[in-house]
Amino acid sequence: MPEPSTPRDLRLDFFRGVSLILIFIDHIPENILSYFTLQAVAFFDAAEVFIFISGFTAALVYGRRLADKGALYATAQVLRRAWQLYVAHIFLFVLFIAEVSYTATVFNNPMYNEEMRVTDFLEEPHIAVIKALLLEFQPNFLDILPLYILMLVIFPAILLGMQRHWLLVLVPSAIVYLIVQIFDISVPAYPEGHVWYFNPLAWQFLFVAGAVLGNRLTQGKSLAGPMRLVYPVAATVFLAAFTVKVSWTIHGVWEPFPGLFLKELWPVNKNNLSPIRLVTFFALVLLVATLVPRQARFLGSAAARPLVQCGQQSLEIFCLGILLSALGHFILAEYDSATVMQLAVNAAGIAMMFLTAKMIDWYKALDRMPVPQPAAARRGDKVAR
Amino acid sequence: MRRRSLLCLAGAAAANLVLPTTSRAEPAACEVPPELLEVSVKLPHLAERLGARQPVTIVAVGGASTKGAAAGPPDLAYPHRLQVALAAYYPAVPIVVFNKGVPRQSTQQMVERFPTDVIAEDPILVVWEAGISDAVRGIEIDDFAAALQAGIDQAKNRAIDIVLVDMQFSRRTSTVINFEQYLNALRRVGDLNEVYLFPRFEMMRYWSEQNVFNFDEVAEDERARLAAKVYDCIGRTLAQAIRTAVE
Repeated sequence: MPEPSTPRDLRLDFFRGVSLILIFIDHIPENILSYFTLQAVAFFDAAEVFIFISGFTAALVYGRRLADKGALYATAQVLRRAWQLYVAHIFLFVLFIAEVSYTATVFNNPMYNEEMRVTDFLEEPHIAVIKALLLEFQPNFLDILPLYILMLVIFPAILLGMQRHWLLVLVPSAIVYLIVQIFDISVPAYPEGHVWYFNPLAWQFLFVAGAVLGNRLTQGKSLAGPMRLVYPVAATVFLAAFTVKVSWTIHGVWEPFPGLFLKELWPVNKNNLSPIRLVTFFALVLLVATLVPRQARFLGSAAARPLVQCGQQSLEIFCLGILLSALGHFILAEYDSATVMQLAVNAAGIAMMFLTAKMIDWYKALDRMPVPQPAAARRGDKVAR
Repeated sequence: MRRRSLLCLAGAAAANLVLPTTSRAEPAACEVPPELLEVSVKLPHLAERLGARQPVTIVAVGGASTKGAAAGPPDLAYPHRLQVALAAYYPAVPIVVFNKGVPRQSTQQMVERFPTDVIAEDPILVVWEAGISDAVRGIEIDDFAAALQAGIDQAKNRAIDIVLVDMQFSRRTSTVINFEQYLNALRRVGDLNEVYLFPRFEMMRYWSEQNVFNFDEVAEDERARLAAKVYDCIGRTLAQAIRTAVE
């Protein structure tokens, strides 16, 4: 909700919109376009962008509600949002079940019977469904929403903690993150032996860091001073990481090209949000915050508009993106996976995300519009009567 | 990363231009595009044995597709087909391939039985088929890569050559299992250790795209026969790759 005193920071919407498009692209396996997403040039990917900005905007939006209408109201608002996400997740889960059941029915190749047991859970639906409702069953690509839901559920505590002092939130969060890194703790999931793909104990730190930063800014704290100091370090870290990761990507396609520090650094852990991912991501955040000013003209341009709109309707567009990537992959697997077809699936998916965001935006704008005439007419009625 | 799939697409296109009908007509030929049979690393210990015409013991360790129950008896599984194909290449050398396939094991579980199942047989070459169960179970990539590394180290420390074999391909399972990052991990581990990775996934994808083996249009009792044909092709092409690596 934009307010006249603090105009909405379009950078948040724009980059969240970008991350949603990238998540859609990366979620189609063997997609040629994924050579051009963040994961090809950086140690992190769009998931970090999404979670960080989500923490940041949550602090802005609910921080304002906390100030205006109190803790109870803000908490109720956060939990309502979490509930919406939960319902969306269950909806996506049902679609996943439909896809797996279909695959299991038409599948008749004995060579995969023993091992490709992704359909095992269909043999115990009474357990599988309960595990899904408890967010413990996280099939392929349905793993980021449970993290987001959990983050929102604990967010009221984060919000109230930040109100006292931001360190009260950031320090425990960092300690939990470090414990996970040192002792390699993961959170069990369903079926037996699975873990939460996005380990919430590790990824919470990114969400909290975003929230703390958002909170500091709403408190009117300027970060320009410290940012100018760290800027050269961030630029160096990011460029070094960029060079290394690009060399890996080229090495993957063309072996004679050397992959720099491949032996030393690979694999970079995503489940526990490896410090390499975290540090290089923060470096990018610093660079973007410095290089892209809040008033940057392109943010208001017609070209940026669809991405900004996607970012503003992030819940709907995120779910739609997951749905479209599953559908797109299904089409590629069932019919044709040639490059032209891949590009068509990407283009169609992105166009649908843009259009849907535009439609929701239009709908919400109509919803917000005051309706003066009927009220005036009613008053007139009364007078006449 | 997806180099092989790109090559394969090119290969498939080329094969379509040059041989429009042969692949359909002669499935038993197990043709694959030549890029998929490129081998840039050597198998020095095996080469030495073969050169000296001393008996060769190979252990094939892996999961259900190594055990090969889908085709029926063990002599139809790919390890035995590999033995038959190698015997044809090297008639003067006694060659035996042991099948140590155990269904539904993670790579870590396979490494744990290396001492009893692999090392105990005193092989000169280990063919290690890994990754399917890890992808199905969603094992963390770090753990998968670490398990592969542990197995490779065990073999290398004992002067045993090793060949990795990646997943089976199926058009339909790819919508519900994400093999991509596990395939990338296998390729990268092979690359870092200079170990040959036999691209079973891309070969089977090629056969699927060329309609060489199509399970969709086959009656139920025919399917085991078709599975045996696929295993036979895997064994033969693997033998071809091994021959290239010892030349």
